[in-house]
Amino acid sequence: MIFSLILGFILLILGISMMLTRNNLIKIVIGFSIMDTGIHLIIVSIGYIRNRTAPIIDAAVNIKDATSQVVDPIPSALVLTAIVIGLAVTAVMLSFIVEMYKKTKSLSIDDYQELKW
Amino acid sequence: MVNPIYIIILSLITGFLLSIFDKIGRKLSMTIFYGVLSFNLFVMAIWFYRLLVVDVTPLLINTAGFVAPISINLRMGLQEAFILLFSNFIALFAAIYLFKKFKKAKISSLVLYLILSMGVNGLVMTRDLFNIFVFLEIVSISTFALITLEKNLKSLSAGFKYMLAGGVVSTFFLLGVIFVYYFSGNLNLDFINTGTFNNLGMIAVFMMSLGIFIELKPFPANGWALDVYEATDSGIVSVIAVVNSAAIFYVFYKIMPMIPNNLLQLLGYAGLLTFVLSSLMGLKQENAKRLLGYSSIGQMGLLISAVVFTTNAPEFISILIVGGFLVNHLLAKAGLFWITGIVKKEKIADWGVLNHSKPLLILFGLLLFALASLPPFPGFWAKWEFIRWLIMEKMTVVAVLVLIGSLCEIAFLFRWFNLAVKKEDLQESQIETSHSMNLPVAFLAGVLAVIPVIIMKYFYQIDLIHLAPVIALIVIFIIEIIPSKIKGILSLITLGTYGYYLYPLLSGLQLFFAVIFIIGGGIILISTFNRKGLNQNFYGLLLMMILSLGNLLIAKGYLEFFLNWEFMTISSYLLFLRGKNARNSSFVYLIFSIAGAYLLMLGFAFAPAVSSDMVLLKSITQIQLPLVSIILMSLGFLIKSGSLGVHIWVPDAYAEAEDDVTALIAGILSKVGILGFFVLAVSAISHKPDIDIFYWIGWIGVLSTIIGAFLAVFQEDMKRLLAYSSMSQIGYIVASVAMLSHLGLVTALYLSFNHLLFKGLIFLAIAGVIYRTKTRNMYEMGGLIKKMPISYISVLIGIIAVSGVPPLSGFGSKWLLYSAFIEKGWYLQSGVLFFASAVSFLYLYRLIHSVFLGQLKYEHQNVKEAPIWFILPQLIFIIALMTISTFPNLIIQPLNAIVGNYIDSSIVIDGYKVTSSLGYWNGNQVMMVTMGVFMVPLLLLLLLIGKTQKVKQFNIVFAAERPESPQTTHVAHNMYAHYKKVLGGWGKPRILSFWNGVAEWTHSLGNLFRQFYTGNGQTYILHIILYMVVLYIILGV
Repeated sequence: MIFSLILGFILLILGISMMLTRNNLIKIVIGFSIMDTGIHLIIVSIGYIRNRTAPIIDAAVNIKDATSQVVDPIPSALVLTAIVIGLAVTAVMLSFIVEMYKKTKSLSIDDYQELKW
Repeated sequence: MVNPIYIIILSLITGFLLSIFDKIGRKLSMTIFYGVLSFNLFVMAIWFYRLLVVDVTPLLINTAGFVAPISINLRMGLQEAFILLFSNFIALFAAIYLFKKFKKAKISSLVLYLILSMGVNGLVMTRDLFNIFVFLEIVSISTFALITLEKNLKSLSAGFKYMLAGGVVSTFFLLGVIFVYYFSGNLNLDFINTGTFNNLGMIAVFMMSLGIFIELKPFPANGWALDVYEATDSGIVSVIAVVNSAAIFYVFYKIMPMIPNNLLQLLGYAGLLTFVLSSLMGLKQENAKRLLGYSSIGQMGLLISAVVFTTNAPEFISILIVGGFLVNHLLAKAGLFWITGIVKKEKIADWGVLNHSKPLLILFGLLLFALASLPPFPGFWAKWEFIRWLIMEKMTVVAVLVLIGSLCEIAFLFRWFNLAVKKEDLQESQIETSHSMNLPVAFLAGVLAVIPVIIMKYFYQIDLIHLAPVIALIVIFIIEIIPSKIKGILSLITLGTYGYYLYPLLSGLQLFFAVIFIIGGGIILISTFNRKGLNQNFYGLLLMMILSLGNLLIAKGYLEFFLNWEFMTISSYLLFLRGKNARNSSFVYLIFSIAGAYLLMLGFAFAPAVSSDMVLLKSITQIQLPLVSIILMSLGFLIKSGSLGVHIWVPDAYAEAEDDVTALIAGILSKVGILGFFVLAVSAISHKPDIDIFYWIGWIGVLSTIIGAFLAVFQEDMKRLLAYSSMSQIGYIVASVAMLSHLGLVTALYLSFNHLLFKGLIFLAIAGVIYRTKTRNMYEMGGLIKKMPISYISVLIGIIAVSGVPPLSGFGSKWLLYSAFIEKGWYLQSGVLFFASAVSFLYLYRLIHSVFLGQLKYEHQNVKEAPIWFILPQLIFIIALMTISTFPNLIIQPLNAIVGNYIDSSIVIDGYKVTSSLGYWNGNQVMMVTMGVFMVPLLLLLLLIGKTQKVKQFNIVFAAERPESPQTTHVAHNMYAHYKKVLGGWGKPRILSFWNGVAEWTHSLGNLFRQFYTGNGQTYILHIILYMVVLYIILGV
């Protein structure tokens, strides 16, 4: 559906701009999460086909005509994996922030520029 | 046969169960952990063997009971097996390296490591796009977590930046993948045809490709990677830089067929840019691990450009290029990262501690040489083929940039090497290490050393005699504990045997140079018997140098010649490096030599093919060389012979080398450039180049002669004086060759032989003087004639031969020289040369006067004659000089015959008499007359005067000098100050300033570019996004 696709892109751009502009580490991670949600939305929406039903074989869908009656199941399957991965990355990021905060008591990304050049 | 999918299954199962096993004991969990890693390696080794040797068909593994594209499938072909063999190998050994840390770490680290290794295997094998994303994330997440194996602020913040960048990049990759699916209805690599995509579909492909490409760290979107390299534990970082990178590189290779050609080319250039700039930026690095980081991203860039630019190449070549660069990078980089963990010094300036552990220092050097793509390591062959291919494809600019990048890389790597080898003030701190850390490094180095043999034998069928220089080095290294003299005798025997082997293969010109290289080298080698102690690694390097020089004469085809040329460069550099204060001088020598070698490589690449069953020295004279080839090769040879403009390596390298080494360098190594020129000239005689390039080379020779002479005049250090004198003398030879006439070529060879005799003689005499007086400054000496009479006679005979006054052979060479120049019609040049000869009297006089004449210094009261080992080779040289001076036909006749092979003779030799179109010279007669003129008055004086009184040192009127006045007020100090005044502005070291400027600008440029890496995570994200935008815009234009 075109609406959710656009929404997905809006979220994606919103997330990236948040990652680029916020100074607070937690907010950057939130930006990352929003970006991730955006891309999940995009994935789901490209598999959607108007006027079709869920890709589950039951009373409503018979096996022979399934391909013309259901939406594309693959993006839905993919998005599950993507969500899990996004979750894992977010978790690792947050745990890094905890450790970093313990060392310097600062959540500003500008305080972590020691390594450069 | 074990199905490779068990690697993934087993790793996953053990990953889950490991923490349970750990409850029983760490020993059990560790055993299982290493067992799984070994199993992975074992499976890959078997597959690699089967695919390569048994030649089974590649295996396609379907999952879930369906055939692709319905299901995900994995592929196990030769390429996958190759990548995974090395990846699993490094993964296992990195784990061994981390043994002590793993023993103490939480069990989760081991689990993560297994998952990481599983992810890498999956990443390489899978053929499904989405699956690539999944494995990529598995690898990334486990890497992020492993970075915290060392929980300090640096590694945490670096890891965080890495995650931000990695998160953004993989999001773009996923976006690309999902739209590729949308447009093709497929996720399987083998079923997607991007050729049918519309514009939007192309954007999807662009995003997907860039997602992978940025994971390979292109400039400037790679700041995060550098921080990770610098901050992470050495064991883990070796996995990140090597195992992960190799797998991601292979993913790039897998999706390459999907990438449209214009984007692919762009990525190739982006990779090239990364290589050049990261090598440039590496120049400013002082942190060891960050330096390796710059080298890593550079190597990945080089790999990308190699794989992109060789897509059309024949399989043989592309395998050698991409495979060579890859294996080289994997093994050398992993080993070096491990060594940084053992040494535990952040600053490269502190790496002198490596001197506490010689084996480690040698391993370090070996890996560094491999990383620098020097022979015989895999990168050398890859670079050679790559450059040739690029030139063949008319991508000259790419080839030049690759070489510039390589040169910068060599500069920063060897600055580091020199610092490690030559740190004067050694700190107390010792290197703490363990076998579990050392063995992996040693094993890697071993593998690296075996691969060249495979390449030489199976790819090229190169005769293994061309490995002789390295074998000699290794053998002497193994027996290094036996006394120096025995090693010296063994070396002489080796030279003899080698000469005996070589003799039937040689004729004419080759034989002449073989005499210079092998017999000349052997004679000078006698002087090294004076050395005390073990002299570790000395004779090995010496043999390596002489053998590679000899091999140059029998090399067939360009590659064999270049291989030996590089061996010669490496061994001479290492010999120079042995000198006490030789850190900078040997570095400058190396940089100039490598630059020269690269020019030579380019020159060969431009030259047409030569027959492979004839010695290059002969075959190259039978082809028409293109002008560009002649110019490039000439530049290479000019650098080697230390001609004007590129001579600045000469004085320091000569002066700071060990004294007997200097004799060797001046006597034989300086002739190798001449050999090259000679062959080029012979080729140009029968195949005239479009522009008379040799006219200009002639002028360079002439100017080297005069300027070298002037520079020699103003030296206080006698070795520097002689070094400049060598530059001047070699200038004569270059100029004579450049005339391209019969007489010119004869003169050149005659001068070369003479130069060996008198320079060997003088340098050895000087070596004896320095050995006794412990100084090189001439004004600190004086009056040594009484103390060291034989050395005095050697120097006297030497300088008579140099200056070209009768009766010695120098007179003959000057006669030939001027005859040749006048015959050719180069009058002005000949006038300049004449003037240079006059100037050379000044420095020669200074040498003998300041050292041997005048007042003996008080501190030299008890100086003795030089040791017998110095005197012996001098006597041989004197006898040879006297013989060819008295019987010049002994040498003129064979030389005439050699040159007669190429061009009709213009002189007539009748007995001792040589007649040219201008007149004749009878060396024997000259000798008799001069001796008569000398002997008759001498005898008369002795007879008539009878009683003489010997004057003691203090029994004189001290006219201008007091014996004990400060040395700097002595006439010998700053002797020709008045001439310097006359020269005025001409005396300024302009060329030196020029090269200093070049060095400074290069470093500043490197510094400028690295300002991109601000250290701010958000800036790095911005770089990534802008990078994609900019590349897209370039693509659109």
